Amino acid sequence: MIPVMYVLALAMTVFAIGVFGMVSARSGIRMMMSIELMLNSANINLVAFSNYHDDISGQVFALFSIALAAAEAVVGFAILLMIFRHKGAINVDTINILRW
Amino acid sequence: MNIEWILSNYGVLLPEAVLTLFAFAIILIGLKYRSILGYLAFVGGVVSLGLVIMNFSVNATLLYNSLVFDPLSQFFKVVFLLVTLLTIIASLRYYHGNAHQGEYYFLLLIATVGMMFVASANDLVSLFVAFELGSIATYVLAAFDKENPRSIEAGFKYFMIGALSSAILLLGMSLIYGITGTTNFTALSQMSFEMSGYTLAALVLIIAGLGFKMALVPFHMWAPDTYQGAPTVVSAMLAAGSKKMGFVAAFKLIVLALIALRTEWYMVFAVIAVITMTYGNLVALTQRSLKRMLAYSSIAQAGYIAMALVVVSYTHVDSVVNLAMGGALFYILSHAFMKGGAFLAVGTVGYMLLRDKIKVDEDDIDNFSGLSKTAPITAFSLTVFLFALAGIPLTAGFVSKLLIFSAAIYGGLAWLAVIAILNSALSLFYYARVVKVMYWDKPKFDLKGEPTAYVVAVLLALLGTVLLGVYPGPFVDVAMKVAEVFL
Repeated sequence: MIPVMYVLALAMTVFAIGVFGMVSARSGIRMMMSIELMLNSANINLVAFSNYHDDISGQVFALFSIALAAAEAVVGFAILLMIFRHKGAINVDTINILRW
Repeated sequence: MNIEWILSNYGVLLPEAVLTLFAFAIILIGLKYRSILGYLAFVGGVVSLGLVIMNFSVNATLLYNSLVFDPLSQFFKVVFLLVTLLTIIASLRYYHGNAHQGEYYFLLLIATVGMMFVASANDLVSLFVAFELGSIATYVLAAFDKENPRSIEAGFKYFMIGALSSAILLLGMSLIYGITGTTNFTALSQMSFEMSGYTLAALVLIIAGLGFKMALVPFHMWAPDTYQGAPTVVSAMLAAGSKKMGFVAAFKLIVLALIALRTEWYMVFAVIAVITMTYGNLVALTQRSLKRMLAYSSIAQAGYIAMALVVVSYTHVDSVVNLAMGGALFYILSHAFMKGGAFLAVGTVGYMLLRDKIKVDEDDIDNFSGLSKTAPITAFSLTVFLFALAGIPLTAGFVSKLLIFSAAIYGGLAWLAVIAILNSALSLFYYARVVKVMYWDKPKFDLKGEPTAYVVAVLLALLGTVLLGVYPGPFVDVAMKVAEVFL
């Protein structure tokens, strides 16, 4: 069996990639992909810990969170679609009406 | 399996069930009859509120201890439903004749159901699912006026930050599960942790994830943009209702479940609370947009409420813990009236400008000049709400601040109370400026008549604000009784 530490390291790497993508992306689609990465890193964690503790509830949690990520993506792409209709682009730099 | 068996076992779920049924009925009926939808949503909210109040002192767990129904959850459900009802009343006018009313009221009710389940959650899984239900519906609500670029931008920013925060929260939860091997709050609260790198990471992630929802500085940057850009009725709901969802989740996760960890953390909470209230008040000073000013003041208010977390993690004296948590609960109830009312009053003016076809920024402070002559009820109510937010006696804001600040002093955190009091004094400046503009400046626009639905919603919020301030006794007793859950 793969030691749980390795899986944890993998999950954290994936999460870090997601955070980096979120911060550096200019395109809305890329930001959505980065969010998916971050959510999935938590899912990797949950499944690995479920195996480690020999307890099924972590896998159930992961299933729920996958379904929720899908629901979230639907709303996100709907909002991106509206932005595209208004501005003809989904570049984050164009979203700048509201500021202090 | 008959009806009686279901009612006796799952009867506590009736408020949520009623609200869900009404939500789906609204979607179906909205295909044909649009004009009655708002009233239908209102009836659903009232029935649900009645059921919650009837069952206020219940004590039950459901579905393998993943949902708990106790006075704490019922208290928060009352707050959420009151805010939703106020929002629905004002929306009757704002979304009158809108082709997408069905979706609007559906999302409003479903968001409320999600918040109510957060209040009842007793397990990481049910908490996360309910949290997402409450969040995803409000993302759509913030972007609901899809012809208005501001509303879309508000929705986009809210969605991106919200999704980021739920990913962070989920990672924190997965670490908690990894450390303990359980997801249940009751089991977590009986566990003894030792402080290690993992627990540290888990706690930081959870505080960050929930901090986004509560709009605590440094996790606040979405709040001003979203509250300013979203339709004002939705801003009222976000600031007064949705934000409380973060608080109840934080109370449950940090104070109830991770009880073993919280004691080491008082300094972190203290720094967050102090930065939050100071930053919110300082930036609010310079705002010209009233909705943005209210958003920053809402951030400052979150800082005051977060003082309860500081006191609870600093002291172990039962009476002080009770006072702090009871004060926080009372603050949350009165904040729902004050902030909800203030946003709705600002929305009234925005709606009147829209109706009279005056093309200006709907929430600029200039629009409010001389409002006491053109819209006296709105002007007076907004004055009361702003003074309540500043903490002037005879309003709900004074009593709630008194409770929380005295809890800080009794808990041995006098310096924190001093900073909070100085902040309240600072906040009076920008609230008073709006009152001055409304009462002493010359009217800028000739507005004709206040819309009835808005006035009713604002007056109800006014009633709540004044009642809680003039006659707080029974409500404080209820809040203290509810707060005994935390002992």
